[in-house]
Amino acid sequence: MSDEPPVIDDDSLADADEVRRAMEYYASRGWTDGLPVVPVTASYLEEFLATTSRDPDEVILPMPHLNKALTVRLAAINAALAGCLPEYLPVVLAAWDAFLADGMVSRAIWQSTTGTAPFSVLFGPLRTTLGFNARGNVWGSGFRANATVGRAIRLGAINALGLKPHVFDQATQGNPGKYSCFIAENEEDSPWPSLAADNGFDPADSAVTSTVIRSVLHIEARHTIVPEQLVTDLADSLCRTGALVRPNAAGFIVLNSEHAWMFDSRGWSKHDVRQAITDRGWRTYRDLAAAGKEAIAKGTGWRLPADHPDAIPQEVPDDLDTPVQLVKSIESVQIVVAGAPNAGVSSIVETFGFWDRPMAMVKVEEK
Amino acid sequence: MLERAGIPAVSICTHAFKITAEAMALILGFPGYQYVTVPHPIASRTQEEIDEIAAQALPEIVRVLGAGLTIRPPAPAG
Repeated sequence: MSDEPPVIDDDSLADADEVRRAMEYYASRGWTDGLPVVPVTASYLEEFLATTSRDPDEVILPMPHLNKALTVRLAAINAALAGCLPEYLPVVLAAWDAFLADGMVSRAIWQSTTGTAPFSVLFGPLRTTLGFNARGNVWGSGFRANATVGRAIRLGAINALGLKPHVFDQATQGNPGKYSCFIAENEEDSPWPSLAADNGFDPADSAVTSTVIRSVLHIEARHTIVPEQLVTDLADSLCRTGALVRPNAAGFIVLNSEHAWMFDSRGWSKHDVRQAITDRGWRTYRDLAAAGKEAIAKGTGWRLPADHPDAIPQEVPDDLDTPVQLVKSIESVQIVVAGAPNAGVSSIVETFGFWDRPMAMVKVEEK
Repeated sequence: MLERAGIPAVSICTHAFKITAEAMALILGFPGYQYVTVPHPIASRTQEEIDEIAAQALPEIVRVLGAGLTIRPPAPAG
């Protein structure tokens, strides 16, 4: 990286004004997430479409209730707008395919007040070939592939599916991941096979998983080398009452490799970690009642107080410290290793699943 | 959907969702579709407050229903 300030001499780019005019044109049409977008010409679009053998008119994600459909062409246009390089397109398409398989987007979740962000994880050799960051600052900025592929999804939602904030995107607050939220697994610094390998994908292939998320929680745990303490800390955050709208808790545990190696060095497999978090994935009835989330609503199935008129009648346990299981099974706890191996800092990605459906993972189809 | 099937219906939403409701009607080809709007919020109100909102909305609900179908079903083929 150059030490030069990022200002270009006017003489070296004769059409800089023209570039700005094009950016302002896109902004004036509302074809943006608020940040400047890259102007897309027909010839530039062709460069993207040349990276895939898929028909440009193929519908990737139909949205019939909005009279919209995301096609390969629209996905490519929005990838270009987002600042992707053409060779990123197969990853963008696989991410969209995974959103279709996940199902929540088709169920209009991006119109919901909850305000979920698109979230994807890339596995396999394309991480390094295309320059995806899986190490330090994995949630942060600074890496074109992560930043622009994640942004391509959000721009596709806004421009192709019509999910503009204040209109069809009714998010009460949304979350910062809605600008871009695309990470890669740090397979090189992990003691375990990747999540894609766990799901039967060949390590020579690249794959993407996608789902919708509500938040990324920071887990500060530099203090322990006792696996039981760390899984207790993780389970506590995964089961915080504030996240409970539905009866159950679920999410990705994004372990930095230091934590992963700590587990491994003490003989814990990835499965052992998931099982231990699941086993601790409960709150007492007393805790839930203190937050008014001890009962389940008829109809919506959401959590609410037992004395609410919509609550399904239930018996109050004799012992208020009776555990109420929130993590249904280890399928609700998925582990990805990412980040720098330099501190005991991990995170939890609060998803809007997977308690009722399998995780969606799709192979990246390279031309 | 009910009105497409020829059944009179009325949609009720809170003020907070009016823009979205109107955009939805427009995109589905029914600009100007009549909604009944009630004050926001709903979820955090007491039963008594909800009853009062319902009572206040009732005349408008009856008016929209009584006005007949806000969407006319297509004429039978042939």
